[in-house]
Amino acid sequence: MPPLVMNPLKEQDSTLLAAVAAGDRRALEQLYLGYHRRLARFLSRFTSRYENVEEIINDTFMVVWQHAKDFRHASQVSTWIIGIAYRTALKSLRQQKNLRFPPDAEALAETSVDPTGETETQDWVMQGLRQLPLEQRFTLELAYHLGHSLEEIAAITDSPVGTVKARMFHAREKLRRSLPELGGGGVP
Amino acid sequence: MNSTLNQTREHREVSELIPWYVNARIGEGDRQRVDAHLRDCAECRGELQLQRQVHGAMTADPGIEYMPAASLKRLQARLDGLDASSDAARESGAARPAQRSIRWGGSMAASIAVMAAAICILATGLWTRYQGHSRPLDYFTVTSPAAHPPGEVIRAVFAPATTLVELQSMLDEAHLRIISGPTEAGVYSLAANSSLSVSASLGLLRAHGAVRFAEATGPAAAPDHSQ
Repeated sequence: MPPLVMNPLKEQDSTLLAAVAAGDRRALEQLYLGYHRRLARFLSRFTSRYENVEEIINDTFMVVWQHAKDFRHASQVSTWIIGIAYRTALKSLRQQKNLRFPPDAEALAETSVDPTGETETQDWVMQGLRQLPLEQRFTLELAYHLGHSLEEIAAITDSPVGTVKARMFHAREKLRRSLPELGGGGVP
Repeated sequence: MNSTLNQTREHREVSELIPWYVNARIGEGDRQRVDAHLRDCAECRGELQLQRQVHGAMTADPGIEYMPAASLKRLQARLDGLDASSDAARESGAARPAQRSIRWGGSMAASIAVMAAAICILATGLWTRYQGHSRPLDYFTVTSPAAHPPGEVIRAVFAPATTLVELQSMLDEAHLRIISGPTEAGVYSLAANSSLSVSASLGLLRAHGAVRFAEATGPAAAPDHSQ
């Protein structure tokens, strides 16, 4: 799967955001439709409830609507929007404390027969990810699921590059330690 | 000694870059640096293999598609509520923060915002009428006589965070029951559950902080001297 963050329509995003800043509701709707799939897939890795996913996305775009005029092009529009989604999700997930597997992953863990072992590895990884503190998990998910660079993750999480590296290091260490236990020998 | 320290540092720094080597979001210089280190470091090659498997597992297609239309509609309702709230604040000359929804979702937040607007507009409208102006109204209020369900004695709006259990408890205490609602504006129509006077029910209801708006409607809205 190509990195989802590679958006060939960066200029269109900038144009749309400028229109949003001027109060154009249609532009906000286009931006929303352009980001919904990416954000929904990303956020559904953290919560199994679509209403939570929707609430985070809609809260994100309320902020986009209210603060589009504050965007200063210090980063890409996608980085700015995903940064808002990150902070919104972090706050929401901490409040709800309902971090769960997506139901399909849970179901697969019990019912699937996968001769290639790919699904089994996915299950181990998902269970390992659940053990991580939120910031560490977000760092890993931003890099591997959304395909962000180190610098982009630093911008999204509003953290120094060194902090991102440290979170990633600890996430990898914890994940490595949890995989053998969960997978009965670890990832081959 | 220096050489060993340099190798250790190079190993650590390259190891930190492996996730971005895996997701192909690494600069060309760093990529070559990782390539060179991997040729001589079995530990990093093992780590690379592990991280590639983790990456593969995390980018697998979930096979789930979310349709954005309904979610967008709810966002639009919230934005409408925000606009109505801003307009009302401007008209009344009193800025008030936008209402946000937490547990009842976007439509309820919009309802509350519309309610806030309605209350401000109602006050402004009454004042304007008192002043003798006759500007045509370009808004609606929840107390509009347009549609009162039979038996309705009170219309009310509750805080977004109110749970159904809390709602039922408040209604029981005030001897009221829901006969319709919530409307698109989040308004409930309530009927009396006993012979308790409307003004008494209204008083009990208004005593709760979760009640954002409550008003007697229809014939029952006339002054009640029973208490």
